Amino acid sequence: MEKVLSRFAAVSTDPYTALTTWKQDTGRKIIGCFPMRIPEEIIHASGMLPVVMWRGNEAVTLGHSYVHNFNCGLTRSFIDDVMKEKLNFMDGMIFYRSCLQAEEIPSTIELNAPPSHFLYLYLPPLYPGIPFRDFLIQELKRMKQRLEEWSGQEITNESLNNSIEIYNKNRSLLKRIYELRKKRPGTIKAREMLAIVHSSMLMDKEEHNSLLESLLPELEGRKELTGDKIRVVLSGGLCQTPHTAILDLIEETGMVVVDDDIYTGSRYFANDVTLGDNPLESLADRYMKKTPPDPTMGDWNTLWTDYMVDKVKENSAKGMVSLLIKYCPPHLCYYPDIRRRFDKEGIPEVLLEVEHEIVSLEQVRTRLQAFIEVIKGGA
Amino acid sequence: MRQQFKINRLATTGLMGPMVDKHWEELRTAKERGEKVAWCSGVPFIFAYAMDMKCHFMAGYSAYCAGRKAAEQILEIAENTGELPDTCSYHRLHMGMAEAVKNGIPVKEDVILPIPDLMIAGRVCPEMSHYAEALYRKFGIEVVGIELMTPYQESDYSFLEPFVERQFKEVLIPKMEEVCGKPFNYDRMREILTVLKKVATIRNECLEYFKKVPSPWTLWDYGVSLAPVIYLMGKPETVPYYEKLKAELEDRAKNNISAIFPEEKYRVFWDGWLPWGFLGQFARKITSYGANPISGRYPWEMFPRPDLIDPEGDPVRTFVKALYTGTMLGNNMAKPGLSLMDKIVPEYNIDGIIFFTAKSCRIWKGQMTMLNQMERRYGIPGITLEADMADGKMFSEAQIDTRLNAFFEVLEARKEKRRWI
Repeated sequence: MEKVLSRFAAVSTDPYTALTTWKQDTGRKIIGCFPMRIPEEIIHASGMLPVVMWRGNEAVTLGHSYVHNFNCGLTRSFIDDVMKEKLNFMDGMIFYRSCLQAEEIPSTIELNAPPSHFLYLYLPPLYPGIPFRDFLIQELKRMKQRLEEWSGQEITNESLNNSIEIYNKNRSLLKRIYELRKKRPGTIKAREMLAIVHSSMLMDKEEHNSLLESLLPELEGRKELTGDKIRVVLSGGLCQTPHTAILDLIEETGMVVVDDDIYTGSRYFANDVTLGDNPLESLADRYMKKTPPDPTMGDWNTLWTDYMVDKVKENSAKGMVSLLIKYCPPHLCYYPDIRRRFDKEGIPEVLLEVEHEIVSLEQVRTRLQAFIEVIKGGA
Repeated sequence: MRQQFKINRLATTGLMGPMVDKHWEELRTAKERGEKVAWCSGVPFIFAYAMDMKCHFMAGYSAYCAGRKAAEQILEIAENTGELPDTCSYHRLHMGMAEAVKNGIPVKEDVILPIPDLMIAGRVCPEMSHYAEALYRKFGIEVVGIELMTPYQESDYSFLEPFVERQFKEVLIPKMEEVCGKPFNYDRMREILTVLKKVATIRNECLEYFKKVPSPWTLWDYGVSLAPVIYLMGKPETVPYYEKLKAELEDRAKNNISAIFPEEKYRVFWDGWLPWGFLGQFARKITSYGANPISGRYPWEMFPRPDLIDPEGDPVRTFVKALYTGTMLGNNMAKPGLSLMDKIVPEYNIDGIIFFTAKSCRIWKGQMTMLNQMERRYGIPGITLEADMADGKMFSEAQIDTRLNAFFEVLEARKEKRRWI
């Protein structure tokens, strides 16, 4: 078990080595996808490896010649990695607009350090009406066609359905691990859970499935955490990994994460794709699902706050930790609603604004300690 | 002692203030007359105008508010009611204004907006939708959303246009008809487009005068004159305004009168938003070096291709064509932006580029890349000035002075390389 978890952690913390090795071993192409909504299954069906672009593992230096320092960590760090030639193993990159800062990356890369293959997609937000679904399917067809050109391999309905099945299986295995954590909090540390999900974004899904299948029974045998830990839910981190140091602090200060609403967490594997005769349409239908609510999409009727409050209540959690990525407009613009709603519900919530470069962990510790005081005071 | 420079102001631009004030006053008092009101981000306000609704334009209102020095007060209301200071200042202005009106918090009277019957979220950027979504959640104000995706490159116009046209026809127009209780008025839309075409055509003739050395007007003058080609769209009085402006520029050009007195020393490209909240401060600072900003990406995005507008045909289709093929929505992306600069820098004899960076808005993509590319392609230096469109907390006078000083020292050192002397 420890070997599998170490493998996931190694991939999550150093995707550069893991992916370079994978490429050397398999001779296959790697395609980077901008988080969060590019259907990886289509890339998988082309015989190439889709990987979700990540926030790098070092401070941004060269990148600041290409992007303003008041952009979010992911955009700055990704551009920094490209300019430092750390991502040269990527054969192609696919982007879309999830926010204004996401829109900054593609042209910066295409004009300064273009990969062999490059695609900018227009994925529409979730406005009601037929035009949006039709346009989305049209864009997915354009993506499929481009991937066929890049890979030299036709993507058939059969191959696409096969990839969908593999991805559905991955989602169901990840869900089982989450269920296990809910039932037996502390069985899996927050940083381990992050590595499990994040590595899924970076590895061949069949291999990931096989590792998850071997891990599950062993995790079930792991001892449950004992002691008086405060149950909390994490939310935020919309398109990038939270710092493991902060996850550790949450646990060190006396809390246990029972569930989450983060991208490198439950948001990634929510919703299966229905298998059918038209897999592109099935992928479009998954894209257009309204839960988990996504503040980058223009859906004002499905309340993210309802989803969060339900998550806290379903898990009998005592509070929620909001991980707000510095300069993340969709989360920043939504946050006042979250604050108001949690106040109204009487559920403690703490906001941790996190940057790519952590300024002070001690400040975070103090905030978390104060949060615990609030929870205990209200208990 | 440094040479003293000042702006030789145009007489015509003084006529714009009352026109703009009238527009906002009519909107402010619309409910008293029983008129329907919309708030709109992006350009779909034309659909509200066609239905005789009074409609605001998010960026135009924010500029007005900032120009009227009301932004500080409204931003404070927004932040006191929970809005976070790193969000778009236009987002916060609207959240603060709605809060003020709903809860009777006193604000400067001439910038008050009535709570709308409908918000049209024309999503040129996602924040242009976030504020409408947030107001829906907070106050239950009805929203209709239109995705106005910014084209990444010119070759994408062909498949984006039919999608946007469908959204207007299948989503927006039915919603307008529902809210207004009457069929959509295509004829009125044609009338508005007819006036717009005429105004934008004369405006393009005016823009040609920026090429003249010395230029008879400044980008600050043009900034004041933007409303007729955007939210004053379709107003008959916008035509004589531009006719007068053109005549004044013609006269100046004939008599070789420079907009910068006593001489135009540097010709500058201004990239990014015009700094509405601090227009006077920036104008004074830049003029003090004898510099004239004569072009930019933002002012060039207001219907630059009126020749594509065909009011006699399908008004929705021609409007969409003007947005995309007409390059109205693309300049803020790096690739189309670079194409524009490649055209403008040599044609307008640009000496240097000021990249105005709004800390709360990232809509102007590729500024750092453009700065590098323009230096490499044309040997033109650039600087970035970090501030904001409206939020004074993000305006640091000392930082701006230091950077401008260094920038104009570089321009001075390179003056022998100028093509235009």
